Amino acid sequence: MNRRAFLSWGAAGFVTLCSGVAVSLGAVVRFLVPDVFYEPPQVFKIGNPADFPYGPPTFLTDEKIFVFRDRDRGFAVASAVCTHLGCTVAYFQSDHHFHCPCHGSVFGPNGRVLHGPAPRPLNWFEVTMTRDGQLRVDKDKTVPSSYRLMV
Amino acid sequence: MNLFREVWQSIVRRDPLSTDKGKSELVFHNVWLHIHPAKVKKENLRFRYTFYLGFITFFLFLILLTTGIALMFYYRPYPPVAYQDMKDLQFVVFMGSFLRAMHRWAAHAMVVCVFLHMCRVFYTASYKKPRQFNWVVGVLLLLLTLGLSFTGYLLPWDQLAYWAITVGTNIGSYAPIIGGQLREILLGGHTVGEAALIRFYVLHVAILPSLVILLTIVHFWRIRKDGGLSRPLWKLKAKKTEALVTIGAPADVAPLKTVAASQDKTYGLMEVVTGKPIFETITPEEEEDAVFSYPYAFFREAIALMVTVTSIMAISLYFHAPLEEMANPAKTPNPAKAPWYFLGLQELVSHSALLGGVVAPALMVLALLAIPYFDRNPSRRPGDRKWAIWLFTIFVVANLVLIVIGTFFRGPGWAFVPPWVHVVARAE
Repeated sequence: MNRRAFLSWGAAGFVTLCSGVAVSLGAVVRFLVPDVFYEPPQVFKIGNPADFPYGPPTFLTDEKIFVFRDRDRGFAVASAVCTHLGCTVAYFQSDHHFHCPCHGSVFGPNGRVLHGPAPRPLNWFEVTMTRDGQLRVDKDKTVPSSYRLMV
Repeated sequence: MNLFREVWQSIVRRDPLSTDKGKSELVFHNVWLHIHPAKVKKENLRFRYTFYLGFITFFLFLILLTTGIALMFYYRPYPPVAYQDMKDLQFVVFMGSFLRAMHRWAAHAMVVCVFLHMCRVFYTASYKKPRQFNWVVGVLLLLLTLGLSFTGYLLPWDQLAYWAITVGTNIGSYAPIIGGQLREILLGGHTVGEAALIRFYVLHVAILPSLVILLTIVHFWRIRKDGGLSRPLWKLKAKKTEALVTIGAPADVAPLKTVAASQDKTYGLMEVVTGKPIFETITPEEEEDAVFSYPYAFFREAIALMVTVTSIMAISLYFHAPLEEMANPAKTPNPAKAPWYFLGLQELVSHSALLGGVVAPALMVLALLAIPYFDRNPSRRPGDRKWAIWLFTIFVVANLVLIVIGTFFRGPGWAFVPPWVHVVARAE
């Protein structure tokens, strides 16, 4: 084996070794990214419109959403997850604001940040009517806070 | 009887401990003890120089390993079974609540001792050449200790656990570019759930302890290779102090003297090479100032071990580890607080998640890692390093103040409430 062959085979071997290591490391990282989530679905039915009263919003604990029903304007769904660090906000009937217990963020009735470290307003989710007359919420589709479903 | 003596001799294989040879063989014929030198400098044994904080930290880690393994016999990392197992440990398992309390308080104590150990090393300037890298290993061990605390925090699956980890991992997601993916990989999902629990469990019982053990080995090894513990300056004569002050400095230090071995000593020589040693060397008169590790160092270590274990046991008899109600994703407790050593971080985060939760801690860690390389001042005298001492003291005090504010001055909704005022969370 001459010098040229040695160097080119050596270089090729080194590159192969490095790419092998890189691919393996990539595979380890990829292995840690789950392909299946055993989590509640993002799209779900929440029941008949008649189940929800007018006035203060209904809090659905498992879904972490507030369902608003307004006599004139219809349904709207707000996320109860604080945009700061993911704590669950509470709706205070006394001042119509959302209060986060973790770091004191306060959101207005339309979800706008009034006070505290939260960087974004609360999310509002699309709510639609299914064929069987139930309300359906899609957490993957955020809508403006003015969005309403008239039933 | 002769058989017993033969068996014993085959195990220890050393001269009687009444002889100097026996005392040194005890150390270097024993795989567990040979991390020690056969002789140590007298002044390094002084409690008031090191406060034995490194040893105490190591002993606390041993307590955590043993109690942690014991707890693993009764714990299944799957919600809601995990919480039921905690209840069993608390009320059904023999000594379960005691073991859990020991694990909890030893973990708190380890965070304290690692931090104090770091302060001691800084104030005695023991991170300077040739010990720079061991400081870096120490900072990594501090981070691993915090990582172990954080991952262990989720395992009880109570309200405290659930919300501390929800907040903590959301802080991570503010990291630029990779933040979101990092959180998803750590949690194995989008929220803290069953996938997160098993991942934190694996990190807590397998990956992080292994890393701590590996780095601890390096940490101890480097102490030996750097020439033992650093020596207190005030114990040394002016000339030697000067030499220590300038060790490794580019100044034109006279080459180290070679001393002929005296007649009554035996040396095992591995290899003869040229060049100066990278570690601190000792002069003949200093060697006279050294004592055998057995019994002087071992006795003190044994005392430190016993005091550490009995203190943790005594505390655990009187104070139980807290366990709140089962994790409830729908209801955030008010106020929701992280463990005390993360409350400084939470206080920063309450002002800005990106600056306080990502940028400030990252800068702090980088600054700590860079200290031995950034501090070019070769002197170890406190009088020569006023700036360094001031900066580090500000760092320590700032951390303490943030933790005190987060612990005692924050009430419902993270509002500023002095500890002498009692506030009840507002009703909805």
